[in-house]
Amino acid sequence: MRITRRLAAMAAPLTLVAVLAACGGSPAKPGGNNAAPKGHMVHGGTVNMGWSGASPNDIFPLPPVTNSDGYNANLTNPIWPTLVYEGDGAKSAVNPQESLFTSINYSNGDKTVTIALKPWNWSDGKPITSRDFTFVYNLLKANATDWLFYVKGLFPTDVSSVSTPDSHTVVLNLTHSYNPNFYTEDVLYNIPLLPQHAWDKTSAGGAVGNYDQTTAGAKAVWNFLQKQGADMSTFTTNPLWKVTDGPWKLAAFQNNADWEYVPNKNYSGPDKPIISRMNNLVYTSDTAELDALRAGGALQVGSLPLNDVKQIPVLQSQGYSTVNQAIPGVAMIIPNFYSPTVGPILSQLYVRQALEDLINRPQLVAKVFAGYADPGNGPVPLVAGGQWVSPLEKSGGPYPYSPSKAIALLKAHGWKVVPNGTSTCQRPGSGPAGCGAGITAGEPMNLTLAYSSGSTTFDQQEAAIQSSEAQAGVKINLKSEPFNTLVSTVGICNASSHPASTCSWQLVDFGYDPDNGLYPSGEGWFNTDGSSNQGGYQSAEMDSLINATEYGSSTQTFYTYEDYAARQLPWLWLPQQSNIVVYKSTLGGITPLNPFSGSLNPEVWYYTSS
Amino acid sequence: MTAYLVRRIGQAVAVVIGVMILTFILIHMEPGSVARSILGVRATPGRIAIFNSTYGLNEPLYAQFVTYVKQVFHGNLGISYQLQQPVTSLIGQRLPRDAVLLGISTALALIIAIPMGMYQAVRRNRLGDHVFTSVSFTLYSMPDFFFALLLIAVFAVQLKILPPTVPPADSVGALLADPRALVLPVVTLSLVTVASFSRYMRSSAIDVLTQDFIRTARAKGMPERKILFRHVLRNSLLPVITLLGLSLPGIVAGAVIAEDVFNYPGMGLLFYQAATSHDFPILLGSTLVVGVATVIGNLLADIGYAVLDPRVRYGRP
Repeated sequence: MRITRRLAAMAAPLTLVAVLAACGGSPAKPGGNNAAPKGHMVHGGTVNMGWSGASPNDIFPLPPVTNSDGYNANLTNPIWPTLVYEGDGAKSAVNPQESLFTSINYSNGDKTVTIALKPWNWSDGKPITSRDFTFVYNLLKANATDWLFYVKGLFPTDVSSVSTPDSHTVVLNLTHSYNPNFYTEDVLYNIPLLPQHAWDKTSAGGAVGNYDQTTAGAKAVWNFLQKQGADMSTFTTNPLWKVTDGPWKLAAFQNNADWEYVPNKNYSGPDKPIISRMNNLVYTSDTAELDALRAGGALQVGSLPLNDVKQIPVLQSQGYSTVNQAIPGVAMIIPNFYSPTVGPILSQLYVRQALEDLINRPQLVAKVFAGYADPGNGPVPLVAGGQWVSPLEKSGGPYPYSPSKAIALLKAHGWKVVPNGTSTCQRPGSGPAGCGAGITAGEPMNLTLAYSSGSTTFDQQEAAIQSSEAQAGVKINLKSEPFNTLVSTVGICNASSHPASTCSWQLVDFGYDPDNGLYPSGEGWFNTDGSSNQGGYQSAEMDSLINATEYGSSTQTFYTYEDYAARQLPWLWLPQQSNIVVYKSTLGGITPLNPFSGSLNPEVWYYTSS
Repeated sequence: MTAYLVRRIGQAVAVVIGVMILTFILIHMEPGSVARSILGVRATPGRIAIFNSTYGLNEPLYAQFVTYVKQVFHGNLGISYQLQQPVTSLIGQRLPRDAVLLGISTALALIIAIPMGMYQAVRRNRLGDHVFTSVSFTLYSMPDFFFALLLIAVFAVQLKILPPTVPPADSVGALLADPRALVLPVVTLSLVTVASFSRYMRSSAIDVLTQDFIRTARAKGMPERKILFRHVLRNSLLPVITLLGLSLPGIVAGAVIAEDVFNYPGMGLLFYQAATSHDFPILLGSTLVVGVATVIGNLLADIGYAVLDPRVRYGRP
């Protein structure tokens, strides 16, 4: 299962109020005006970066299960990076220079993982050692179900034993053989190293010990650190949080407002910060952030909602450049296979194929997203998917826009197609030419699509889909709701549980981009008992193919899963919008943008002077 | 007057308890899962169970209410599900900010509206009255977000003489340290409320000007200025006092649009965000505070009535 950590700030922009119409001009071309700045690199200076709606509230890098605030990762990742650094420049790959390991080797049929740590130091000068890894492991082992990012069956419960042959080597013996790509990029990427020599204690005044080595001790340490981590008034003063291994240290933190970093002068990594201060300024909304950008001066880096893409020329006139940052996720409409009303219709593959055939994705990318979007050809994003994009997806996916094909499919299965009306089933039955099991004679093709409100872009997208689906008499009723309301009322529906109270929904578009991570397997989304298999998609073949991606070891295995998912349509694929980063043209190092960093690598940013 | 006050305070306590019960029931009738709303799309049954157990959401509703009432009587409004902070501290941070913003803007609106209403009443149906009526109606009919964005576009983006947003400040002192940043939000909120105050003032003053005692005062040769300030103004203020009393809960509840546009996190945004994310402790805490402000506002308005108009004899037939 993928975990959204770094991309919290990239979630679909849900603005509270409409933004004043642009002052004219046409949008810049996707890709942006992002030429390298002219002039010499200058050391020092302060960069103010805008964040819309951010509210980090916990500094301990292993958040508890009850705190799902994704911005906490934005706060802590620059201070305590994870073992595996995802994204190498603009490439979707592990960054070996920035990662905390020298090598990760798989042996014993991929059941043994040997991690060699780099000889780096903590900010207090003590070395980062394998004991720091076992400290994290012990804490998580004793408190796995209380850790937000715990996925049942994976780290740490899939580790049968851990040994540390020397101070910089960790050996994990796993209960399964795993695909090394999956385990490194989807499991280990989630693990930070934490300073055992400073944090292994159970009270503020207590001595540091080896408490983590017993279950009771690990629970006590966990509880102590969780309590300290939630105390926002001491984020900058608590001695615990002064021991760091990332490029930055927290210099200031205002409750429900800004937070500021200064360079960790003892950072051992290759990219030592060039600027002298990084201020993260929190805005109540996209509107407020955009106003600050348009006024110029207050912000050097920010982001621009797609709703406001016409503002790009205005921002350029204020000395800003823009760059398109691909998001490593996909967008989708989720069908509910257990809907009491339309579940039988949505369960028919030919219906889902017709629905997908009628979505004009290239036009959505061009007109709705102004070019700032991934085409959405299948379960792996084309731009940020790296090596995992199959030839089928590269070629446009299995379902290019074709209303005639959709109409033919419906007719072939006994539907009376009424363009711009409502098609009805004329030939019920489960035979090859029938409408399908559970679909009655005269049943209309009438579907309700619920989606997140508050974004003009999404309103336009859903209206365009409604219009294009109508060509084959598929009547789509649109229902927009605030994101959290949508999440709370759209339950996970499957064979064992589909209560009417939370499973009456039919189609849903959260406007939400699952963070695929570097290894975009379908675990959690499409497997029968997947924890995020919202619509209850069920296929033994899919289960088997997903298992193969986790336990097998070939790229072709992954492509087989990917193409199967693309064709079977457990979700209807949609274009995935990009993030538009706005930055002062005098600032260097912004590009190439790492798709996985969520714009959080200011250690390579610098000012220029002519 | 004392008996009246005791009775009114007793009523106020009953109203607040009623508000607590009603809002608790209504909020818990909201459809959907709180845990899923907070934990998001990826919430697993295990995580949902831990969440519900942590916050007592697996208890029967009456048990949750008893716990809530006990907490309130101990000055504890609970922990926000979303922000993971005590609700009392969240309200404690935001209420003073709104009190500053809305207090200043309400005061400014009154300073403009009272003389404007008086002037319009005295110059009824003349050019000045028509001009002010047109201006106030224009401002009143203008959506505040549009007016706010218009001001930002002109004064912050084009002229660059005022900042478009209010910088974060963790105290009222820090907030007032940069008064320029408060100009646009204060002007926005003031001007859109001037109309309602001035219209009430105008209409009330016109009524008073036709009263017998005004005619008598004029007949006795009292100077017009004295008539206006001593008799007309004081008597005309009664409906404005009512409006002012009713605006107290508004001051406490915040101004969600202005807060959003001007980057001014206050009670309005806190409540709005809590409402969209099923953050019950914030919703209950905010509603309670606004309920208390409403009864206090009404009480103050009634007392103001008694002070301004000695003819009012509360509790007597």
